[in-house]
Amino acid sequence: MSRRLGLAAGLLVAVVTLVLPAVLDDSALAVYILLGLAAMVTVGVSLLMGYAGQVSLGQGAFYAIGAYTAALLALNGAPPLVGLVAAPVAAALSALVIGVPLLRLRGHHLAFATLAMQLILLSLAGQLEFTGGDIGLQGIPQFGAGSFVATSASVYAYLTWAGLALVMLVTHNVITSRPGRALRALATSEIAAASSGIPVGRYKLVVFALSATFAGLAGGIYCFYTGYVAPTSFPVLLSIQYIVMAVVGGLGTIWGAVVGATAITLLVQGLDLLAALPGMPTYAPSVLSYAVYALVLIGVVLFMPQGLVPAVSDRLSRRRVGVRP
Amino acid sequence: MSAFLTYLLNGLAVGSAIALIASGLVVIHRVTGVVNFAQGTFAVVAGLCTSSLLGLGLPHGVSEVAAVLAAAVAGLLTGLAAIGKPGTTPLSSLIVTLGVGVLAYAVEIVLWGDQPRSAPGLAGSVTLAGARIQTQHLLVIGVAAGTFVLLALFFGRTYLGKALTACASNPYAARVVGIDTRRMGLLAFALGGLLGGVAGVLVTPLRPISFDTDVTLIVNGFAAAVFGALTRPVITLVGALLLGVAETMAAGYGYGSHQLEVALGLMLVVMIVQAGRRPAISQEST
Repeated sequence: MSRRLGLAAGLLVAVVTLVLPAVLDDSALAVYILLGLAAMVTVGVSLLMGYAGQVSLGQGAFYAIGAYTAALLALNGAPPLVGLVAAPVAAALSALVIGVPLLRLRGHHLAFATLAMQLILLSLAGQLEFTGGDIGLQGIPQFGAGSFVATSASVYAYLTWAGLALVMLVTHNVITSRPGRALRALATSEIAAASSGIPVGRYKLVVFALSATFAGLAGGIYCFYTGYVAPTSFPVLLSIQYIVMAVVGGLGTIWGAVVGATAITLLVQGLDLLAALPGMPTYAPSVLSYAVYALVLIGVVLFMPQGLVPAVSDRLSRRRVGVRP
Repeated sequence: MSAFLTYLLNGLAVGSAIALIASGLVVIHRVTGVVNFAQGTFAVVAGLCTSSLLGLGLPHGVSEVAAVLAAAVAGLLTGLAAIGKPGTTPLSSLIVTLGVGVLAYAVEIVLWGDQPRSAPGLAGSVTLAGARIQTQHLLVIGVAAGTFVLLALFFGRTYLGKALTACASNPYAARVVGIDTRRMGLLAFALGGLLGGVAGVLVTPLRPISFDTDVTLIVNGFAAAVFGALTRPVITLVGALLLGVAETMAAGYGYGSHQLEVALGLMLVVMIVQAGRRPAISQEST
């Protein structure tokens, strides 16, 4: 895609993003907000998995840490803004602590270790007193700053998409910088990267913490928006969903993460509408969403391993140059 | 003392069931290099099948065997998805098996609903040196022991078993001498399904199984399998028994709600220690 075309497309997306919260009704807005939050986490997954080559099946854990942090602070009287800032910080700090031992693992070991981390965290959150046990935390105050209190969903929509823009900007700057090239190198071969002077361990840790920060920020917004958090809000399937979104959109591309999150969210949403039609069995919504996640994941991994965005932009640039595939 | 012995025996039974799941993981990983995320699913499929078949009035024995065969078919289908397409890397295959596990959720909910199901097993209990143990627990231990002996004989003494091992140690050389590595991989997946199915059939009478029980089963199985570095069955068996005993002791002495953390914590420690001891270069070359 040429530079000017890309810029025009970006502007169009920005305008549509800004206009949509004003025109959507509340139920559509809910989808819009959850989509933005999912995209925020998925950008982190795409950076971690596609760029640095580290698989995390526990990204939902950092989402949960962010949500619980913001919720606990807000419930104990801290201003919501403090909670929102603390959420990504807490997620990043826990990623730094967890990452030191965990990131010595590779491939499937790392995948299982991150899954284990999320299961341990959920189990603890379900048992501890201060997290509210299985019931979770309820009655979280609305988001606000100073005398302003967010009462309408459109405020959360703008907050979400501002957060997403920030996350995308940070990611863009990371991957176009020198450390970004180092990350790509260590994804191919850690030994080769280390021998050319890249501090492999430290970079892996930083990118792990960065992806956790994004998830934590999304979690913080989520808890203010929904007003409650419980262990059941963060099932293992949530982490798998982020992987599906990142893989579908195209690993290691920023826009791929957003496109993947959009495609999957809208697909599942459409099927939910279908499942709510009269005459459908009660289990239809969960069955359809499980089936969609599964089939899309398997299909894309096997037949379009690059993902949607790289596949489409490849085709576009081929047509411009006039080369037949 | 007898409480301790009871916990020990129950722990060995739990460990034997974990060992069966783990053995399936090991068989598949040895032959194909893929870590099969759907291994817990096979046990769930077999468990749910047993409860349905027994509910239909089929006799014991027939129901269990049919359920195990259903799990083997599930294993074969998983294998087709995971390694059927040439050029799929092991990590892609891992993600495909993850997808298969989620797809199985959809199928299982349609067929069996989302509520846990149980199946009657062997009734009664036996008293051994002052410790009471359920007959079903003894059956689990016996079947697991038998299965491991059979597996050892299969891999050590039969031509087919040796061909499977050959695929694992050097796929290129195996192809050169005329072994179809893809077919062997599929066979390994079917065998993994069979082993998972045996575990599922044995566990269902002990604790009810629902569609999402597979996560607990797979993390326990994987925890045991990493003891043996995912390739060595005997160490895997030892790891599984240790894990089962540790979990049961934790439950018995009042930490019942922390069973999962015990298993997962042990797994993490073992993996991190192993990663520290193996040089990075040997990990990247495999």
